[in-house]
Amino acid sequence: MDTLASLLHMSPAVAWMVVKIVIVFSAVMILASVWTWVERRGSAMIQDRIGPNRAAIFGRIRIIGLQQLLADGIKFFFKEDLAPTDANKALFWLAPFLAFVPALMGFAVIPFGRSFTSGGHVYHLSVLDPGNGMGMLYPLAIGGLAVYGVLVAAWSSNNKWAILGGMRSSAAMVSYEIGMSLSVVALFMTTGGYDPSEIIAAQGHLPWHWNVVPHFLGFIVFFTCMFAETNRLPFDFAEGESEIVAGFNTEYGSMKFSLLALAEYAHLMTASALIATLYFGGWQVPFVANPTVALSITSFVLKLVFFAWVFVWIRWTLPRFRYDQLMHLGWKVMLPLSMVNLVFHAWRMSQGH
Amino acid sequence: MFLAFALITLLGALGMLLQKNIIVAGLFMVAAFFGVAGLFVLLANPVAAALQLIVYSGAIMVLVLFVIMMLSSHEEEAAEVGHPIQRWLSVLLALALAAGGVTLVLASKGVRQLAERGAAMPPAVTLQGVGATLFEGHVLGFEVAGLMLLAAMVGAVALTKRNL
Repeated sequence: MDTLASLLHMSPAVAWMVVKIVIVFSAVMILASVWTWVERRGSAMIQDRIGPNRAAIFGRIRIIGLQQLLADGIKFFFKEDLAPTDANKALFWLAPFLAFVPALMGFAVIPFGRSFTSGGHVYHLSVLDPGNGMGMLYPLAIGGLAVYGVLVAAWSSNNKWAILGGMRSSAAMVSYEIGMSLSVVALFMTTGGYDPSEIIAAQGHLPWHWNVVPHFLGFIVFFTCMFAETNRLPFDFAEGESEIVAGFNTEYGSMKFSLLALAEYAHLMTASALIATLYFGGWQVPFVANPTVALSITSFVLKLVFFAWVFVWIRWTLPRFRYDQLMHLGWKVMLPLSMVNLVFHAWRMSQGH
Repeated sequence: MFLAFALITLLGALGMLLQKNIIVAGLFMVAAFFGVAGLFVLLANPVAAALQLIVYSGAIMVLVLFVIMMLSSHEEEAAEVGHPIQRWLSVLLALALAAGGVTLVLASKGVRQLAERGAAMPPAVTLQGVGATLFEGHVLGFEVAGLMLLAAMVGAVALTKRNL
């Protein structure tokens, strides 16, 4: 690391930061784009179809249809870039970036492996080092900003279906954020800290000490709210193909649409990383007290991929809710449940547990 | 860094004032909030920055934009009769407010201490610190604020729901 830094005329800290940013963002981007394919193959598997498996290099080499990604990318790049005549052009162009940037930024605080010491330096495997003071508030804050992508896309299209989708999405996000935050607050209380690395360290390596066991109610609430936050089925009211055409992205095509879709999948990756970190021990390896760095990274990635698959699985298993059912579930079920969880843990702590 | 965030804040605020379209003005305001959050981080207060983003940009502005979208008119209407005196009065008031703010800041204890001791980065504010301060020094204010919010919530439900 040090020799590399001196070759590039950078201090080791800066070089390590750059390396981390490149690794994290490219990993999230690659996973997100692979997941567009996993989604289609997974839906095909669940619905007893075959799914996209025809794309091939030179008409010959098909790796179970993985080139579909490449084909889609090239297709989206070469499509004509249209904007509706009455759209607010500046915002119409800005919206995909507003959706995409927060989706990638949310990942920055999550530790994806255990810290290690080399040559007198401590290297932390998260883009923002622990002890930055933001801790778990950071993904919540960035998640709050994510709604603007959908909202701006919806409004700037100047299309009534799009505006309906944007309004639904903003209302859903605001109502589900409360239940989600309260279930995270209960975690802060029992951990005694709000940094993700503290939360992971407090959970230890035994699976029955992971937060999902004592905080089972909180986990259910957080998990459900993540579906609303990422706009995934059964809560994808921003899109709602069967009701409002394609919702907020009705007017979007070409690379702009592709960015909106990628933002959704990047969001999904951040959400699964959050679930794994908060409730399933993050990089902790079951029954291994002191895992090696490579093992801890593998464990984290496996957990992340599993939850990302659960998102796909649920999407193709459950039908879409009705809009009033969503509001009913958010305010009358999820919010009281997370409050019960919070009060229960406060009571248990007051009893000296 | 300070200049970048200060510029974002100021340009966001200016854009919000000058923009005729209400939704675009709201988005400029979000940019201003974001700039203020960045300034909070530079002042070693990441908790305030996160809360600024969660509460103001993540909840309040989203709700405001939601309400604006629900209403049909998105353009500000021009006044039927011009009132030039209002404009001059507002400029005067804004100047008085700015002058008062600057004098108060320059006369404050913090600035004097800064002149004596020089600027040292204070330890970053933590969530635990904020909680302890709220419940040790400001319990009464905290509880009163909570009660007021509860009353407002009950009032809103009672006003909008015809048959409870």
